[in-house]
Formats: sequence, C-alpha cells, structure tokens
Amino acid sequence: MDTTDHAFKSDLAEIAAEKYKAGTLSRRGFLSALGALGLVPFLGDRAVAAPTELVVCNWGGQASDILRDLLGKAYEEETGVPVRVDGAGPSPGKVRAMVESGAVVWDLCDSGAGSAIVMNGAGVIQDIDYSIVDRAKVLPGTDLPFGVGNYVFSYALAYNPTMLPDGVPETWADVWNVKDFPGMRTFRKSVRGQLEGAALAMGVAKDEVYQFLDDEGIKAAIAKFRELRDNIIVWGSGSESQNLFLQGEVAMGNIYSTRGYLLKDQMEPGSFRMTYAGGVLQPGIWVVPKNNPAGPEAAMRFIATAQDPDLQVEWFKAIGNGPINPAAAARVPAELAAWNPTSAENVAKQVIYSDEWYGRNQVSAEELYIDALIG
Amino acid sequence: MNEKLRYWMLVLPGLAVMVIFYIWPVLNIWGISVTEPAAGLGNYTRMFDSRAVQVSFVLTFRIAAITTVACLILGYVVAYTIANFAGRVRPLMLGLVLLPFWVSVLIRSFAWIVLLGRSGLVNDTLIGAGLIATPIRFMHNELGVLIAMVHVMLPFAVLPMLTNMRGISDSYMKAARGLGASEWRAFREVYFPQTLPGVFSGGLLVFVLSLGFYVTPALLGGGRVMMISEYITYQIQEFLNWGLGAALSVVLLLATALVLLVAARFVNLRKTFLERSS
Amino acid sequence: MTRSPLRILFSTGSWAVLAFLVLPILIVIPVSLTDTSFIGLPREHLSLQHFETFLESPKWLHATWTSIWIGAVVAVAATTLGTAFSIGCWFLSDRAAMIARWVMIVPILVPPVVQSLGFYKFWVTLGLIDSHTGVILAHTLLGLPYVTISVFAALANLDRRLPQAARNLGASLGMTIRTVIVPAIRPGMITGGVFAFIVSFDEIVGVLFLTVRRVETLPKMIWEGIQESVDPVIAAVATILVFITLLITLFGMLRSK
Repeated sequence: MDTTDHAFKSDLAEIAAEKYKAGTLSRRGFLSALGALGLVPFLGDRAVAAPTELVVCNWGGQASDILRDLLGKAYEEETGVPVRVDGAGPSPGKVRAMVESGAVVWDLCDSGAGSAIVMNGAGVIQDIDYSIVDRAKVLPGTDLPFGVGNYVFSYALAYNPTMLPDGVPETWADVWNVKDFPGMRTFRKSVRGQLEGAALAMGVAKDEVYQFLDDEGIKAAIAKFRELRDNIIVWGSGSESQNLFLQGEVAMGNIYSTRGYLLKDQMEPGSFRMTYAGGVLQPGIWVVPKNNPAGPEAAMRFIATAQDPDLQVEWFKAIGNGPINPAAAARVPAELAAWNPTSAENVAKQVIYSDEWYGRNQVSAEELYIDALIG
Repeated sequence: MNEKLRYWMLVLPGLAVMVIFYIWPVLNIWGISVTEPAAGLGNYTRMFDSRAVQVSFVLTFRIAAITTVACLILGYVVAYTIANFAGRVRPLMLGLVLLPFWVSVLIRSFAWIVLLGRSGLVNDTLIGAGLIATPIRFMHNELGVLIAMVHVMLPFAVLPMLTNMRGISDSYMKAARGLGASEWRAFREVYFPQTLPGVFSGGLLVFVLSLGFYVTPALLGGGRVMMISEYITYQIQEFLNWGLGAALSVVLLLATALVLLVAARFVNLRKTFLERSS
Repeated sequence: MTRSPLRILFSTGSWAVLAFLVLPILIVIPVSLTDTSFIGLPREHLSLQHFETFLESPKWLHATWTSIWIGAVVAVAATTLGTAFSIGCWFLSDRAAMIARWVMIVPILVPPVVQSLGFYKFWVTLGLIDSHTGVILAHTLLGLPYVTISVFAALANLDRRLPQAARNLGASLGMTIRTVIVPAIRPGMITGGVFAFIVSFDEIVGVLFLTVRRVETLPKMIWEGIQESVDPVIAAVATILVFITLLITLFGMLRSK
C-alpha cells in the first residue's frame, strides 16, 4: 500500500516553490528539496531548466494555425522545443486572471500597444530582454520596455461591393454618407483606430489627425459616430468582424487589415474589397506574462526567431501580417504588395497610430465613444 | 447536547459555506469599489458623471420593463388556458412551457442568432416567399434582444401565475355568470382580480432576473444594446477597470434590492422566492 | 362547456405563444443536419458531418465530460448541504431559521456578473482561479438555493408528528433523519439535485470569470464558438442537448400522468 501523504507533499512543494519565487531558496536548493520529496518527475516544465514546450496565445482562427505551422516550426527546429498555439484571445482580463491564479499557461501573447500599457500598469507582464531580442529588427518606436512589435496591421476600410450596387465607398466621408452608400457599417467596440476615420471624414488632413483630436476634436469625432449610430453594428474581436462580413450583416466597415486579407479569399469573388486609404497603421505587440511556464529566456528567443525577415514575409503571405522587420519589406512578392500595410505606397496613404495620443486620451474617449454608440 | 443545538449543527455547514464563500465576497465588492485604483469615492463620482453609464442603466431598466410586460401578457394567456381550458392536453401544454426552461440560455440565444440574422432563416424565408425585397434587421438591435429575452423569461412568468390560478375556485365565475354577467365581464371583474398575486409574483421574478441579464444581450445586442452587466464585464475584461466595474456592481445590486423592497408592498416575497414550486 | 369566444381567443393565443416558445429551439435540428460548412438549412442532402466533427473532437468531448462530472459533484454536494440545512430549519421553524433560509436563496437574486466579480477576487486569495475546485465551489453555491427550495417544499408536506414519534420511541436524531425524513422527502431531494446539476451544466458567466485555460466546460466552448465563428458544430451540440431535454420532459410528462 502506498502510504505517501500526497497532500502534505504537494503542500511542501508549494512552500518550496514560494520560497524559490521569493528568492530565499536557490534553484539548486529548490530542485533538491523537490527531489527529496520525490516530486521532480511530476513538475514537468515548471521548474526544470529546459522547457518541454512553449505556449503562444493569439486570437484564434487561421491565424493560430499559421502561427503554429510557420513560426512554431521554425522555433522547434532551432531549439528542439515544440510550440503549442492557443487561440483563446489574450485579453488583458484573461492575462491578469491567469497571472493572479498563480498558474500561468501562456509564455507569449499577441497583444496591442494599448492593451500592453494596461497590462503593464496592472503589473502582469514582464520586461523584454533586449540582449536576446534585436531592437534593430523592428520598426523604430515599437521596442517598448514591456513589449515589442511582432507584426504590423492596419485599421482599414473594407466593403462588400455586391451590397452596394450604386457605388462603393472610397473614403471615410463616403462611409458617413448613408444616403448614397446605404447599408450597415461595422466599427470596433473601442475607440482604437476608429476616431481617426471620423476625423478624416470631417476633412482633416491625414497628418494632422492627432493634432485635430484634442478635447474639442474628440467631441466632434464622437458626434460623428452619434450621427451614424443607427447604421452601426460593433465588433468586439477580429473574428467577429470577419463573421459580420461573411454573413452579409454589414456592407462596409473599419476592420483589421489582417482579417480583410483572409476575407478576400473567403468571400465570393467580387464581394470583398479593402483600401488602405485613410487606414490607421499600427504594430502588434508581443507581451510575456509574469511567471510564464517556459521561463523568460525561451519566450524572448521565440520573439527573436520570429524577427527573421524571411519568416516575416512568409507570415505576411499566409495571413496578411505586415512585416515588422524593416529589412523584410523588399522581399514581399510584387503581386501581393497592394495588401501589405507596410509597403511604401500604402504607408503613404495611412495615419500612423500614435501611442502617445492614446496614452493621454484613450480612457476618456472610450467612455464618450460607448456613450455615443449605445445612447 | 441541547436539541436546538443539534438542529443548528444541521443548518450550519450549508449556511457557513454560503456566508463565507458567497455573501462575504459579494459584500466585498464594495471594498474594491472604494479602493481601486485609489482610495475614495472616485469611482462613484466618475460613474454618475458618465453619460454612458446613465444611458446603460436607463436601457437596462427599459429592457427589463418591456420584457416583464410582454412576458406577463403572453404568459397570462398560456397560464389561463392551462388552468381552465386545457383538459386532456394540459400535460402537453405544461411540457411545452417547461421544455425551453430546461434548454440552456446559451443554446436558445444561438437559435435566435440562426433565425434572426440578416441572412438568417426568417429573412431568407420572407425573401424567398417574395414578402420583402431587402432583409429586415431583427438582430444586433434592441428588438432582437427583446425577442430573445422574452423567450428566455416567459416560463418564469407562466409558472407562478399558473400556481396561483390553480388555487382559484371556478365557483365565483359560475356565480357571476349565473347572475347574468357576460363571460368577459365575469372574467374581468371576478377572475382577474384574484389572479393579481400570481401576476405580481411572476412579474417581479422576470424583472429582477432581467435586470442582471448578461448572455442574451451580449450575444444579440451587436454591442450597441449594452445592458449594465455587459458594461461591467467590458470595463473589467478590456481595461482591467475593477474599481468602476465594482462600483457599477454595487449600484446594480442596490437597484435590485430597492426593486424588491418596493415590490414587498404588493407581492408576497416569501411565496415568490422561498416557496416557489418548480 | 360551450366554445365561448373568450375560450377560443385564449386557446388560440396560447398555442401561438407555445409555438413561439418551442419552435425556435427546434430550428437547431435541421441546421445541425446541414451539408454546408456554414449555418443554414441543408442544401442538397442531409448530413451527419457536424455530429461526426463533435464526436471526433477531443476538445468538445473533453469539455462535455468536464461539464458532466462537475455537474455531478455539484449535485451531490449541493443536495447534501442543502438537505441537511433544510431539515435543520424545518425542525427549528423559528425566526432565525427563516432568516437563514433567505440568506440561502440570495444567489437567485444577485446578478450573475456581480456575483462572479465577487467570486473572482476571493478565489484569487484562495488560489482557486482556473481550477476545477474553484468552479465546483462556485456552482455548488449557485445550486444550493434550488435544493433548499425544493427540499423545503417536500418537508412542508411532511407530518411533524412522524419524526416526533420516532424520537419518542428512542431513535436518535440521525436515525430519525435517515429512516423517517429522508425517505419521505426523497422526491424533493432528487428535484433539487437535478436542478443543481442543470444550474452547473449550463452556467457560463462564472466560468468566464473564474477560468482561463485549464478548465474548459461545454457552455464555455459554445460561448467561444459563437463568438469565434458561427459553426454548425454548435448546432449539432445544441441538437443533442435539446433531444436529451425532450426525452426527459416527455418522461416527466408521462410519469405525471
């Protein structure tokens, strides 16, 4: 009969883990303490030096498959560590819940600058180790202390020409013109990347958008949404926006360019188009949750692997993620250049997302925006 | 051991679990609301200054009220028929009321998404039959939320009314008829007043449950019909704004308590909640 | 009785309302049999492909199994605690017991999002976030009101002289409960247990707040499925659940006859 007291053992193991975390027990001491309890084999990837797998979390759908097959495989070839991709959507709420639960499952999360700031404020993500990740291989300005650029995407104007027999919208002003361009529109359930379009629709020049959006400007832009709200369905997640187009719920809208890239192949020929004119160009951000299971080093190495320019181009071809590595732009095939948010031609048409503006205004603007939509 | 103490030993485990793991954490929400992100009543002043919050509260109460009225009218007809006319089909009718009750709200909301979408089955059928040329918007608006909410809440209205009607003797109606009252008049003046306790009871149940409803509005509202529960979740999941979420929760909880307090004047709360027959 | 206008009005009306209650749910059946890869009615022939997808998906099956066993544990825990509680209150029958009974049904009145928020903060302190224990505890609390209500309804019909007689004959309290009370209120306990199981089996808001990745329940899979992509697999799952409900309701109807 097995007389081992498992509950007691796991208790001791937990105390040892706490001490180890708190730094009062060295890694060697920690492992030998566990060894004495006969627990090391059960610990798997949590304490042993070489991680057995790396779990990357992104937003589901095809994007998850591609991440696994492309970047995951490259990382496994390089390090021998297999990569698992979880498409659960690492919203700040989930990341915080995971870190607070004390059992972090994700090693690396696909996030955005705004969310990264929120998560950093809550103290649930760790700083990027720039001795492993190369600052030179990302667009300038996307090397934040607590997150680093992974790819580039845009908020772009997409539409379904079959639902617009009398003409298609070319500009945001057209989107606000309900008379000539009837049908439902979709916008994000958050101001991120949305107010810029309203400002452009009011005739603001694209380089002056954020200057225009001071307190008065924000109010004016919000008023534009109030004006349009009976024609709006909002999307919460990228896949939701994709569904709205697929099911014909909306005729046009402001969606992620990456989702547009997928829709161009998913929808019937001729029923989907997207323009970068008046789009908002923005980097996606890798963040590493505190106490990630595979350890910080493994996560940083994955980021470094993903910076490779050729991989970046393959990633773009598969799913429309614009390369974050400036060296990759030249390697994008000519026939797909029109879909690349970071091609010189497309960059010239777009507003460049301002972290600084969002840091200052997002919270207050968010509230006004929701108010305008639900009122 | 004292006899009474023995009985308390039976009561205590369940009660203790409820108080420690439920009542205490719920009361603690107040604590979060006055400490995060900073100590003080900042969340409350912010909340009352926000038009979005006001709009969301008004919307929540409006949807709950319309749902309640619709459920009472539709439910009354069903309960009355089952109690008085159904005869042999009574078990069938009762079964049809109970069936949706047992199907999860999630599944029922999914069914409505399938039906009400722009290219959903209702629109497809109407277009196919040549009745309309362009799809009607049933979903992603208040109408869709209301249809699905009434569907979810209807059994909660029918059952208390049915219990009440089953206890009403038909001799009063017969007497009124015997005295020469028309059927309609006998119903209105003799039967209906007797059913009011059941109506109030069902109405209160539906109203209170609707106030805190989350799933159906979140799935069918298209993000624009944001009831207060969804607003709280959104603040917490997207912005980790626990302080504001907690403050909103406190107000929602107080609003619910206030509704119960006011209702206690008209409704037998004990019968509605404690002695609910299922 | 003659067919009066009022009667015709009410009968027709109530059949219409019942159709509104039931038909929308049944729509998931044809949709689950669609031969298309998107939500819609079958185009050319009926197909069981979406049921196959469900039955061959370890994720869906695992989530289904998780929901079933969590529900079973919750049913047992809530029925045990709730029955003991109700019997105690029934014996006491004083003001304090009345207050205790009100405390026990508070979870019915508190909005799901609000209680989940409370759970979350406390579960963090207890280290129960994203654990099966955490979900079981939360669901037991949510099931308890239903158990106490239905057990108490059964107790209300019990003759108080019965346990008294047993006690007078020298039976201990425990024995009286086991041999006299529990057999008499068994139907109420079963109803309460079934309620607790279903409350747990369908619960979504608490699970959304309290779990991240380690615990996956069926409602959570359906919720994520609806948000991620409206996939006919959900219709297949829904059909299976509706069928089970249909059978049980039918069974209940025949028995009540």
